[in-house]
Amino acid sequence: MANFNIDAQALNTYDAIVVGSGISGGWSAKELTAKGLRTLVLERGRDVRHITDYPTTNMQPWEFEHRGQLTKDVKDANPIISKCYAFYEGTEQFFVKDAEHPYVQEKPFDWIRGYQVGGKSLMWARQTQRWSDFDFTGPARDGFAVDWPIRYADLAPWYSYVEKFAGITGNKDGLDTLPDGEFLTPHEWNCVETHFQKQIASKYKDRHVIMGRAAHLTSPKQIHYDQGRAQCQHRTICERGCPFGGYFSSNSSTIPWAAKTGKMTLRPNSVVHSIIYDEKKGRATGVRVIDANTKQMTEYYARLIFVNAAALNTNLILLNSISTRFPNGLGNDSGTLGKYVAFHNYRAGISGEYDGNLDMTTDGRRPNSPYIPRFRNVYKQETNFLRGYAAGFQAGRSSDTDQSGMGADLKQSLLNPKLGGWHVGSHMMGETIPKESNYVALDSSLKDPYGIPQLKIAIAYDDNDEKMIKDYQEQMTEMFQAAGFTNIRLRDDKRNPGLDIHEMGGVRMGKDPKTSMLNKWNQLHAVKNVFVTDGASMTSTSTQNPSLTYMAFSARSVDYAVKAMKKGLV
Amino acid sequence: MERRNALKTLAGAVGGLIALPGWASGWTAESVRLATPLLPADQVETLAAVVDTIIPATDTPGAKDLNVQQFIQKVVADCYDKPTQDMLSNGLVLTNDLAQKTFGKPFNAGDATQRVTLLKQLEQSTDPAQAAFIKLVKPLTIRGYLNSEYVMTNLTHYEFIPGHYNGCVPVKK
Repeated sequence: MANFNIDAQALNTYDAIVVGSGISGGWSAKELTAKGLRTLVLERGRDVRHITDYPTTNMQPWEFEHRGQLTKDVKDANPIISKCYAFYEGTEQFFVKDAEHPYVQEKPFDWIRGYQVGGKSLMWARQTQRWSDFDFTGPARDGFAVDWPIRYADLAPWYSYVEKFAGITGNKDGLDTLPDGEFLTPHEWNCVETHFQKQIASKYKDRHVIMGRAAHLTSPKQIHYDQGRAQCQHRTICERGCPFGGYFSSNSSTIPWAAKTGKMTLRPNSVVHSIIYDEKKGRATGVRVIDANTKQMTEYYARLIFVNAAALNTNLILLNSISTRFPNGLGNDSGTLGKYVAFHNYRAGISGEYDGNLDMTTDGRRPNSPYIPRFRNVYKQETNFLRGYAAGFQAGRSSDTDQSGMGADLKQSLLNPKLGGWHVGSHMMGETIPKESNYVALDSSLKDPYGIPQLKIAIAYDDNDEKMIKDYQEQMTEMFQAAGFTNIRLRDDKRNPGLDIHEMGGVRMGKDPKTSMLNKWNQLHAVKNVFVTDGASMTSTSTQNPSLTYMAFSARSVDYAVKAMKKGLV
Repeated sequence: MERRNALKTLAGAVGGLIALPGWASGWTAESVRLATPLLPADQVETLAAVVDTIIPATDTPGAKDLNVQQFIQKVVADCYDKPTQDMLSNGLVLTNDLAQKTFGKPFNAGDATQRVTLLKQLEQSTDPAQAAFIKLVKPLTIRGYLNSEYVMTNLTHYEFIPGHYNGCVPVKK
């Protein structure tokens, strides 16, 4: 029997462990295995295999029992997830139901999660802009949060590296607020979007309307075919999983690529309880995993540990990794763990109409739309709020069918729809300021179904956000008017934080171990063999979508970690 | 993650008359058979006559031929609350009562003109139960009809793949 434990330990030992298989975990796994490390990838949810586990991806519209509509039972049982725009009859299988993983809303927070292999990379909206130096220098300049330990130049080659593999569509626009990348053919504009772009360019020097940059294979290269992926088919039902691999997901790209090396062991249904810290060795030695089916706890060991559980769950795992050396969470010498969580403000939007270009229309569907990079407080502080906002924009023409008739008349008008006018719309994506008072912590008594403390979330908007909403509405109204748009309507849907699905921070990077958790390599200051490269590591949130940055951080961090390991530094 | 919301905003801006993307809709007669029927058989007959009146067979099948009455039962049973379910059922009774009063026959025994006139009357009715009934049934009929396999395949030529996007094409005269 004495040998049994030793054998079990050897059997459960890998070179590296990756916690999570979403966008950042998939990249960590791909890079670690490519460098020859035997890597265990732990995923708390079930396995979802590319194509075979996308049950609704080839369903025709008429094949859905409720034409896509959620049933009353599902809505009643899931008031939180039912708010998510991508949750419908075709995607229910990919979202965490409210009862599955309870948490404490100290303040209202809609936590949107995908627990399965691939995580939320299956259902994401695929916008992939690079962050700029304005984002990485922002905190130092404005005095919010702490200074980032890196600059854009540190990340630029890694952006290129991940863009080439993932496949990003976009146009080279030459903007310093939004650096250009390695782009595939950009998506097409429509007439009214072009009109808006030209009007804004002629009236403002510093405001630009560009085509969105998105993780779609508009013109696949050999590297994408090598992954078994093919050109995007413009179905615009990405969130059901794409059998063509037309958009980037862990399932279609990084995970199978890692599997091909023969170095990856993927273990679904593995809920990570905590990271094991060895006081004598002064480093983390592995992780404790609860099997989701049997509820049995097993320990797995490795030299390197990458935590990619998605921002808030990464916080939860570190907070729950308690030892004598780290009584307040792994690596938490600074006391900042769980704090300075920030997100994106999507509350406001605007819509309007345009009565020009009526001789032209669009044909087909486009899984992307134009984008307005941040133009506020870029070169200098010019408003009464800190930071700024980016915005989505799009125009479209729809069929306005007369449904007033009855009988044969009605049938006639339904089958002969009239083309309506152009409609334009925009939504904001504002940067919120990381604050100590926006935090997550472990609840002292409530446990989840695995006996792990529930996460307590206290995150809210502040006065800065309210001022930013007002400014977005004012500026966008002015821009819509400048373009000749009419019937302009503003909206503030007052949604809760969380519904943006861009929560970040809590394990922030920084130069000073006294005020941050991670160094410039996404490495815990205090535990050198543990790396965090998902949203938890973000020091501030930028106005751009964050996923591409997680990918770049993951690849860069693995490169450093493996080199450091070979030198005996970790 | 917000593109779809922008689409919804656009949809809202045109009063919900926008053609919804394909994923948002769809059903087949086979997929919508209820384990326990919401309505008794006689009410289903009335409902079939109502949907057939709203969208009748002409040189192409009407809503009844495409089993839209079954779709409505299924959606109302699974996606709507009890008061709405009751309102559907009561509305069918009301419709028959009104038919007896107006043309002395059950609704489904009336001729096309009588039935169309009666449903138009419901649309303009100041009686809340009558107005709510037609407000529920008519849009569901239109949805079920337009998203049926027959209509999408043969009449509106829905294209699943290969998809495409041409931003600027001339409007067909």
